Amino acid sequence: MSARVDVPRDLRIRSRWGPHVTTLRYLALFALVCLFLIPVYVLVVTALKDPSQVSPRQMWQLPDALSLDTFRTVWPKLETGFRNSLVMAVPASIISSVLGAANGFVLSKWRFPGADIVFPLILFGMFIPYQSILIPLRQVLSDAGLTNLTGLALVHIIYGLPITTLIFRSYFASISDELIDASQVDGAGMLRTFAYVAVPIALPAFAVSIIWQFTQAWNDFLFGIVVVTRATHWPVTVALNNTAGSQVVPYHEAMAAAALASIPTLLVYILMGRFFMRGLMAGALKG
Amino acid sequence: MEPVGIRLQGVTKRFKGHVLAVDNVNLEIEPGEFMVLVGPSGCGKSTLLRVIAGLEEVSGGRVYLGDEDVTTKLPQHRDVAMVFQSYALYPRMSVRRNMGFGLRMRRTEKTERDRRVDEVAHILGLERLLDRRPGALSGGQRQRVAMGRAIVREPKVFLLDEPLSNLDAKLRVTMRAQLSLLHQRLGITTVYVTHDQVEAMTLGQRVAVLRDGVLQQVDTPTNLFRHPVNLFVAAFIGSPSMNFVQGRVANGSVNFADVTIPLPAGSALAGSDRQVVVGIRPTGFTTATGDGMPTMKAVPDVVEDLGDERYIHFDVDAPRVDTEATRAAVDAKSAEDILLLPEDRARFTVRLPVDTPVTAGQPVTLAVSPERLHFFDPESGATL
Amino acid sequence: MYRLRKWGPAILLISPSLLAIGVFVYGFLGWNLTVSLSDWRGLRPSYNYVGFENYTRLASDGRFTNSVGNVIVFTIVFVGGALLVGFLLAYLLERRIRGEGFFRAIYLFPMAISLIAVAIIWRWLMSNATGAQQTGLNRLFSSVGLDFLVNDWFKADQPFAVMAVAIAAGWALSGYIMALFLAGMRGVSDDLREAARVDGASEARVFWHIVRPMLLAVLMSAVVILVHISFKTFDLIFAMDAESRLIEMPAIYMWFTTFDSFNFNRGAAIATLLMVGVAVVIVPYIWYSMRAERRQ
Repeated sequence: MSARVDVPRDLRIRSRWGPHVTTLRYLALFALVCLFLIPVYVLVVTALKDPSQVSPRQMWQLPDALSLDTFRTVWPKLETGFRNSLVMAVPASIISSVLGAANGFVLSKWRFPGADIVFPLILFGMFIPYQSILIPLRQVLSDAGLTNLTGLALVHIIYGLPITTLIFRSYFASISDELIDASQVDGAGMLRTFAYVAVPIALPAFAVSIIWQFTQAWNDFLFGIVVVTRATHWPVTVALNNTAGSQVVPYHEAMAAAALASIPTLLVYILMGRFFMRGLMAGALKG
Repeated sequence: MEPVGIRLQGVTKRFKGHVLAVDNVNLEIEPGEFMVLVGPSGCGKSTLLRVIAGLEEVSGGRVYLGDEDVTTKLPQHRDVAMVFQSYALYPRMSVRRNMGFGLRMRRTEKTERDRRVDEVAHILGLERLLDRRPGALSGGQRQRVAMGRAIVREPKVFLLDEPLSNLDAKLRVTMRAQLSLLHQRLGITTVYVTHDQVEAMTLGQRVAVLRDGVLQQVDTPTNLFRHPVNLFVAAFIGSPSMNFVQGRVANGSVNFADVTIPLPAGSALAGSDRQVVVGIRPTGFTTATGDGMPTMKAVPDVVEDLGDERYIHFDVDAPRVDTEATRAAVDAKSAEDILLLPEDRARFTVRLPVDTPVTAGQPVTLAVSPERLHFFDPESGATL
Repeated sequence: MYRLRKWGPAILLISPSLLAIGVFVYGFLGWNLTVSLSDWRGLRPSYNYVGFENYTRLASDGRFTNSVGNVIVFTIVFVGGALLVGFLLAYLLERRIRGEGFFRAIYLFPMAISLIAVAIIWRWLMSNATGAQQTGLNRLFSSVGLDFLVNDWFKADQPFAVMAVAIAAGWALSGYIMALFLAGMRGVSDDLREAARVDGASEARVFWHIVRPMLLAVLMSAVVILVHISFKTFDLIFAMDAESRLIEMPAIYMWFTTFDSFNFNRGAAIATLLMVGVAVVIVPYIWYSMRAERRQ
């Protein structure tokens, strides 16, 4: 479908309602943007205010002067959590993506009998409410001495397998089967076909999978409080809730903390939104 | 390296849902031979090729490459090379790496790899393209890279699955000639799959005609053309297709419409009195010269001039021959597929020299030699 | 022999994942079920079988029934709201206008931040402090004369408290629903629509007769996903007002009763019920998707 912007103004085919509808459309969209950004406005404005200007009365007003004081106050409380999350989320997202790639490849291109039964069984794991495995999880991890960041990473890897498998399976399904045939005839078995032919082709899927998993792991809270027992090992979401979750904490500190904790995932979203979108859509199965 | 032969012994392939793709095929391919597998879509030729490659497991029978029984061997252990219809080039590798991939998998030294890739690139005119990726190549170039990838391997057998189908018509003709040349030069046993019988006839040293998974006839192109073993093969081979009409053999001649042609000398049907299907190729007619050859009158309603050939089309006042065999030969699923005009009359196409004086609507007398007649059993389609 | 060679390596490659899922999903589900049928209370595990006692106790547990009521209200408001807003956004963006990328990015960004952050922001916006302490949306309403909109938000009486939380959740998820609908709308072949337009159908008719049926599939996906998210809602409530019964839902109640009060058996029972609730929606959805895929 061609973009209307290409056609010179006076030659455009006009519908009966024409420009009025378009103007209305833009108005509605901008109004909704304003509504959507109210929380963002509040967050940014408050976090950047000088602490002396923070009061219930002045909540909606713009800052008189910009100040990073609140961030400086709040950062030490989040620092450990921030580092923990980073150390945990990056390896977890990469490892679960690699495993997902292998699974997706096998399930879509090397259809052993039963592949079509195995896949839904894996997929189901994506939808379970995690409450239903928390108790056994806590037991097993504490018995194994894994109530730390390694355990948390492991948890994210394992429970991330369904979605990463889904992402790669969908992706590999779209590449030609003949490519795999060619690779076999050329002398590569399954493993070498995977490594030399499939993986290089799947780089976009890796981007999607790693970005999505990173976001999930970074933003997770439930596993953070269940798996990790020592405060020094808490991920940033737990630290955030602790610093800003209580009702007595000053609002500006809460806002600044929320902002800081969200920066990595927001950065990823802004810079690589395309891949983020694809990860988002992967979870909505066809039909 | 010595070329090897291929032997397929009672090969059967059944897919899920009991679809019988290949039915008890016995085929012997000589070392160094260029064998073409041809037939309408769905006839099992691609499946058979994949069985030889090892990409499909047989449901029954055995496959031999040379003296070796490779029936249970995976493709990577069979030392065959294949060119796919879609070329299947590795998108993220350069042309050089695409061509060298097979050697790399067999752990050939880099220097040797490069040497062989360069050599084959030179033969195929790909030197300037070695560092490009498949995405940056034209269709014809990609096809050559796919060929190059196969040739570099110096395999026991070449398998080609409709490699020219995606090229445009003129390029296809050029590439056909090049393929023949290559085969002469390399001498490797080649199995070539196509649905285009013209390609089959021009490329193959021998051609195997398949229908619904069953081997119909394996023979040289000339023999297939001159001595088809059944109605299907007769209808499938030859373009334009052979003309068919229902007729009756009695008293030493065959009758159809208002035409009577004496049977050729020594014909097996000499004493018979029966219905037959008569087949005459478009090239089996000439203009009557009054030299005693049997004649038939025709009133052409369409005259096609192709520059150095002329085709006339006319109706014959006898029932059209419309059987499963004739339909299958043109890849039609039902009578409706080929019926543009509803009359139930046979339609003949005749090729005449380009300077023959003939105009649409004007009757013309054609001569036909009894030797050029083919007879088929109306029930079984077998040649009589 | 061929088959073994062909599929052996593949099965080996996938088996660690299969093992992990087998244990950590299905094994644990079963284990949890066992705990729910046990008498485990306190820090030391105890697996004496007590039948369905924990479940029957839940039925008469006021706190549990309260949480169930809350989650039902929440689901209805949240799912309905997100669907409406998401659809509206998709409808507005459907025609390729300038700046689409910008708009989409704005509506989707809440998906990138944690629900804890979302809760923290909305907790302030929905503050019900009064007088000089009045702040958040209430203050905004007062200052522009919309006093009738001032309310207690998530500290109001049930079920309004739950609806307030649903607003925050809807804000976070509407963008996702918009993306789903957009994908569905764009998926409708342009050829089909052009043919209808040439045939004389007005824009509205084209939408109603051609686009709408295809959207039903998207709607189904969206509902399933939203309902299952709704049942799992934990982070949002926990950070907003963890101890409040007004907005307590089964997922939160499970947490408190298990890790705070150490009633593992009751917690496991709640968890199992959550599981069943989600499965009822998800299993048909997966089964239907696999079938649709196979038909292709």
